[in-house]
Amino acid sequence: MIVFDRVSKVYPGGNTALKNVSLEIKKGEFVFVLGHSGAGKSTFLKLILREEKATSGRVIVNGKDLSRMKERQVPYLRRNMGVVFQDFRLIPTMTAYENVAFAMRVTNIPEKKIASRVPYVFNLVGLSEKMNKYPDELSGGEQQRVALARALVHSPQLIIADEPTGNIDPELSLEMMELLSAINDVGVTVVVVTHEHELARHFNKRVITIDHGTVVDDTAAEGDFIENAFDDDDDALSDPDALEEDAEEVEV
Amino acid sequence: MKWSSFTYLTKQGLRSMLHNRLMTFASVGVLTVCLIITGVAGLFSINMNSLMDYLGSQNETVVYLNEDLDETGLTNVDSALRAISGIKEITYVSKDEALQLLKDSMGEYADLFDVFEDGNPFLANYRVVLEDVSQLNEIIPQLQVIEGVQQVRAPVQLSDMFVNINSAITVISIGLVVVLGFVSVVVISNTIRLTVFARRKEINIMKYVGATNGFIRLPFFVEGIAVGLLAGVVSSAIVLGGYQVLCTYAGDFPGFWGTLLVSVLLPINQIWARLLVGFLVFGALIGSVGTATSIRKYLKV
Repeated sequence: MIVFDRVSKVYPGGNTALKNVSLEIKKGEFVFVLGHSGAGKSTFLKLILREEKATSGRVIVNGKDLSRMKERQVPYLRRNMGVVFQDFRLIPTMTAYENVAFAMRVTNIPEKKIASRVPYVFNLVGLSEKMNKYPDELSGGEQQRVALARALVHSPQLIIADEPTGNIDPELSLEMMELLSAINDVGVTVVVVTHEHELARHFNKRVITIDHGTVVDDTAAEGDFIENAFDDDDDALSDPDALEEDAEEVEV
Repeated sequence: MKWSSFTYLTKQGLRSMLHNRLMTFASVGVLTVCLIITGVAGLFSINMNSLMDYLGSQNETVVYLNEDLDETGLTNVDSALRAISGIKEITYVSKDEALQLLKDSMGEYADLFDVFEDGNPFLANYRVVLEDVSQLNEIIPQLQVIEGVQQVRAPVQLSDMFVNINSAITVISIGLVVVLGFVSVVVISNTIRLTVFARRKEINIMKYVGATNGFIRLPFFVEGIAVGLLAGVVSSAIVLGGYQVLCTYAGDFPGFWGTLLVSVLLPINQIWARLLVGFLVFGALIGSVGTATSIRKYLKV
């Protein structure tokens, strides 16, 4: 699904964000990409989205070499991936329904298909009854689910979540992760980019750790942990204080 | 692009104009002011040209004929004059008429010239008016070589001055319109940049959900063109209205100015179509070009 082949990214001005990164994320995997701010996570994301081009090396997404991709093909690449941003990026002047329909409209999909698809994805994220609300009438968690609905609307093979726990309550983060994991269960590749290693640790998934622009650790999921991860009383996700401590620890 | 998408995006553009009413109002306002200033400069220069045409048509060259010219000679001169291109009208003034003209101009002292009744010293002549006074220097030699012409008295200095003033006016008025047009483009593209900036989030989202650049641009284009057309209509109405008022009351200006304005001002029906089309095209062009240049930055995501 995603292949990084000795990828380096140097921004104009000499700031090196990634150094010689090689990794592979297979189709259907659920991967955490972990790293504190400035580690190179954002660049990693931007390279996958083809917002930036690698300075050297190859980034291959869905079998396509992004560094050789023409500018006008980029929109079609992005229709095969759904992105959930930390700040949700909903248009405040449109209802939740319109926000999701908007993503389909701007990609040339017939109105008829939109009318059947949008309620379906709202049902998937469990927000059917709030489709006609405006973003500012929704809670953070709900807004995030609208953003997820929008990401899902094109039936993408890849979902990327950028700091999905950054702007919402810990309990809601858990719900979000369950949703993502359910999506993963039907074969969609999920990449969660985060700085919270507690979050990554509590879901028994593959964790790729980036620091100072290089992959310092790549741990595969092991055992059958996932079942009791949700039941764990000490779960940092259900304990706001623990999460806060954790966040401080990360900042240092 | 499918027709349904096209209509959707067009509607989207018009809806966002309504939604961002204040911004639309500001853009239309700024563009209207720019168009009015440019339009007034343009009208001024058109009328300056009309004034110069009027002044140019006041030229008169006198062609004096030999004293001993007979009927045949006179006919020959007449047809020779008519053969020269660039002459608007010719008037024959006989010896007697020439004397009479002088007497008329002398008013109560006309009696003084009665002494000439027996031996009229005046020469019969043709008064020649040129279509374009700037051609004077080319036409004089053609007049001089006509058989039976004794002397040509032409307003050479006036002609030279006229040509100079005329070219100065042309340069200044074109310069004025170009500079004002340029200022308009800068001002309006800045205003549009503000509207695009206000919606950068929306553009960003469109980029991430895989909208093509054409799709993202179209609503903005629709908006830019609509703003341009709107400003074109408003400014045409204001400028033409003002011009109409000026035409109506031109005669009321005191003395010389009144006469000058009445004879020089181009009638509004010669102007309005050109002005309206010019404003609409210019407005739509600035609106769309301004949008295209300001949106480019946000498409690079």
